[in-house]
Amino acid sequence: MKRSVIGRIWPNATALILFAGFAFPVYWMFATAFKPTGDIISENPVWFPTDVTFGHFKKAVDADHFWTLVANSVTVTVSAVLLSLVIALFAAFALARMRFRGRRGFIVTFMLAQMAPWEVMVIAIYMLVRDNDMLDSLVPLTVFYAIMVLPLTILTLRGYVSAVPKDLEESAMVDGCTRTQAFVKVIFPLLAPGLMATSLFGFITAWNEFPLVLILNKDIEKQTLPLWLSQFQTAFGDDWGATMAASSLFALPILILFIFLQRKAVSGLTDGAVKG
Amino acid sequence: MSVQTEGTDTAGEPAVRKARTPGPPRGEDRASGSPSGSRGAAAPYLLLLPALLATLILLGWPLVKNGMLSFQNLNPRQLIQHLTEWNGVDNYKEVLSGSDFWHVVERSVVFTAANVVLIMLLGTLVGLLLARLGKKMRLLLMLGLVLAWAMPVIAATTVYQWLFAQRFGVVNWVLDKLGWHSMADYNWFGSQFSTFSVITLLIVWQSIPFVAINLYAATTTIPRELYEAASLDGAGAWKSFTSVTFPFLRPFLYATTFLEVIWVFKAFPQIFAMNEGGPDRLTETLPIYAFVEGVGNQHFGVGAAISFLTILVLLALTSYYLRMVLKQEEDEL
Amino acid sequence: MKRKLAAAIVIAGMMVSVAACGGNDGKDSGKDAGPDSWKGQTLTVWTMDGSAPPQWTKDVQAAFEKKTGAKLKFEIQKWDGIQQKITTALSESNPPDVLEVGNTQTPAYAATGGLAELGDLKQQIGTDWTPSVSQSSVYDGKQYAAPWYFANRVVIYNKKIWAKAGIKGTPKTRDEFFKDLDTIGKKTDAEPLYLPGQNWYFFDGLTIGQGADLVKKDGDKYVSNLGDPKVATAMEIYKKYAAYSKAPKDKDEATPQQAQVFAKGKTGAFIGMGWEAGTAVQANKAIEKDLGYFTIPGATADKPEGVFLGGSNLAVAQGSKKQSLAKEFLKIALSDQYEGELAKLNGVIPNKQPLETNLKGNAVAEAAAPAAAVGGTTPLIPGWAAVENTPNPIKSYMTAVLNGKSPADAAKQVEGEINKRLAQQN
Repeated sequence: MKRSVIGRIWPNATALILFAGFAFPVYWMFATAFKPTGDIISENPVWFPTDVTFGHFKKAVDADHFWTLVANSVTVTVSAVLLSLVIALFAAFALARMRFRGRRGFIVTFMLAQMAPWEVMVIAIYMLVRDNDMLDSLVPLTVFYAIMVLPLTILTLRGYVSAVPKDLEESAMVDGCTRTQAFVKVIFPLLAPGLMATSLFGFITAWNEFPLVLILNKDIEKQTLPLWLSQFQTAFGDDWGATMAASSLFALPILILFIFLQRKAVSGLTDGAVKG
Repeated sequence: MSVQTEGTDTAGEPAVRKARTPGPPRGEDRASGSPSGSRGAAAPYLLLLPALLATLILLGWPLVKNGMLSFQNLNPRQLIQHLTEWNGVDNYKEVLSGSDFWHVVERSVVFTAANVVLIMLLGTLVGLLLARLGKKMRLLLMLGLVLAWAMPVIAATTVYQWLFAQRFGVVNWVLDKLGWHSMADYNWFGSQFSTFSVITLLIVWQSIPFVAINLYAATTTIPRELYEAASLDGAGAWKSFTSVTFPFLRPFLYATTFLEVIWVFKAFPQIFAMNEGGPDRLTETLPIYAFVEGVGNQHFGVGAAISFLTILVLLALTSYYLRMVLKQEEDEL
Repeated sequence: MKRKLAAAIVIAGMMVSVAACGGNDGKDSGKDAGPDSWKGQTLTVWTMDGSAPPQWTKDVQAAFEKKTGAKLKFEIQKWDGIQQKITTALSESNPPDVLEVGNTQTPAYAATGGLAELGDLKQQIGTDWTPSVSQSSVYDGKQYAAPWYFANRVVIYNKKIWAKAGIKGTPKTRDEFFKDLDTIGKKTDAEPLYLPGQNWYFFDGLTIGQGADLVKKDGDKYVSNLGDPKVATAMEIYKKYAAYSKAPKDKDEATPQQAQVFAKGKTGAFIGMGWEAGTAVQANKAIEKDLGYFTIPGATADKPEGVFLGGSNLAVAQGSKKQSLAKEFLKIALSDQYEGELAKLNGVIPNKQPLETNLKGNAVAEAAAPAAAVGGTTPLIPGWAAVENTPNPIKSYMTAVLNGKSPADAAKQVEGEINKRLAQQN
């Protein structure tokens, strides 16, 4: 079957257009951030920032306690992701590899947990945290963020665990490993890409969370970056330069993480399947 | 929050699993599969214990608290003075007797349906395109997809506001240059439909990558032999798609649709930050409505009642899939 | 067994870390026994972003720490979600001791029981507070806050454009103002006025100018009075102004930031707060020399247009364990010396008339001050704060009228929502 020239061109052409469509908003964010205000508020868009300025970034970074907030965001996000991964790994292993009474019930429970409307439960959560004297602390944030992503982490990891061929594990056990050893030595390394891919969801959820931290942590020393980002939208109204600079800074770590982890995750997934 | 972002497929995997591991005899629910004997009987429960406890404490407790608040008259005065004023089902009566709530439910369902259909359809097409592309182009398109996918929701929403800004927004400029001059000063956030259009574009833009990339990953696991067998039978491109690709991807598509329904329905920052549910509250979906009434208006008891009703609506929307999972899971493993 | 252990460790770890950070408060919950106990305490004061200039903060802090021996901590609050923040903070066992509360919000917070009564403080330092600015902190006949600073809108105009249109001097009446705007429209290519459809506080000023009330009493509760013909007259005036502008009808003055639009030098004037001139200069340095200010003119030359007197009060949290220290802070911060300093530094209207001498030489403040005397606020009832919550139904009303609805019809459309919100407190 020989494809016509058109048949070969259109997928590539479509891909190019799609690439432009998907990447443009991200590009425009960075481009705007580097442009002087005069080029931003301009009757004709300036497509490439020729007259590059770092003023907007400076304004964004100069905000009070910026670096404290960065540290808090990183701490909370990383801890929440690790916590949920550890808890989820146990559960996912049980759900993927064992048969027991109530298994389906557990799976459906986690699917239901996935639906929790966190934004509208903030007052209930606030009252619980307040009455337990735990306001202005990173710990409640961490555990709540972990639980927000836990259900999906479990369900996803379950898939990765069961994608690891069972005979590998069994042959390890034939070689004299206990089941735990077999898990640590055989399954865990194969799961690494899956763990990384799964962690992305956690990273982005915890990194973005706003309503909860707003009322739980009033002490600026204990706040996180979304509060800082939102201030640009309100305090500076339409200061698009500063807003886009702040957005760029906010998005950058996640973008890098995604590009890095996503390639690993996808290739891990496909490799695993092909070599199976 | 951060709905359409998550790193992997939940569902490409059942297909993989089915293809490779023969199912055990059905109907057996005894704990086994572990050669370590009777000690293993408790093992799955112990492994699940942390997850269950965490869910119970950190999700169950707030849910119960929220449920209790929904039967209370709770405003700033009661909150500040730590007063508990039970008011029976007044909050529910207030919500359910007004016409607002039902409009919002209707709007949420239509909004969710429209978005999910677009996401699944376009996501599948892009995923299939990925499978057809050469290596370089695939990498390029992947990069674009990952960029969109990874944008933190708050940042993405801000960028869309800027793209669609009435004055100096690049979208209006382009439309004007394309000859659509009435769009030069068009206010995208002035009407319900146009606001929803922008929100939908944002959500679809951010959600397609998840579907497309995972669908592509799932297609790579389809055994070549199946296609070869199909072409021996004289199947054309379309036939081999419907007879091989689609059946293979079906579990993946079901699971993804389920997730997208949840994520789109719960979409919060995209809608709230875009135009705060405006104009005239016409783009409030259930979560926004609950937030505006409860937290925004500081009418916390009513907000709790609405959030409880929100869960019920979401349950109804996903009940089909959940029932299917309950039936299907016994066949697996 | 190992698995069980591991699980137990994870859970135990969670619990320990959860418990470990409990005892955060209590460390400064010393009993309030008057001046003797002040030493070593820390008083926390919440001010809003932009309210207290650094110089003022520094001076007040030095004076306070010298006088009391206690520490003073200013915490600057962002506007985003401030209501949730204040409400929840007041419910905590360790709330901020003193906090800045917007004057229109004060009655609502007073009604919650979250603010301490300050009747004695008023006796000591507030007998000469300007009544029009003090009344917002009175609820149910009791003083629940102290007036801090106030500001009102002025017309900020581009002298170059006005000169180009051949206009000399500034208008003294509303009709003169309209005529000048006409002239600019005809003789220049500039937009005469930038006025978005939802500059709600300007509209509130117009209703004050008409002597209209936005709420009325119906039995023992308040209901919307938006359908009142006087409100309609105010709205018609607004509409006339808005006709000179190409600004969006469904946006307020912050989106886009009107000062930034003005900064491009293609707008004759806009109605804004004094500080917005700074925003304009920041966006375009060149605009600085063209900036001019005048009082929003009224129907006649002898009485300026009504204005919304926005401003802030300082309140003490009922839950604060440092009541006497908090009052001591208020005595210092609101003393003539520091109140005067604040007026001078920020160009805001102070809480006592004689202190207005501090505004001399400040062009914005001099334009603002004449109108302050005829200024007013939003209805000072606890239920009002809820009406202004996003989405503000009055903004919807304004957009509807500007889009062609009659004021009466537009009022009908939103009154249900307003009444619902007015009724919802408690």
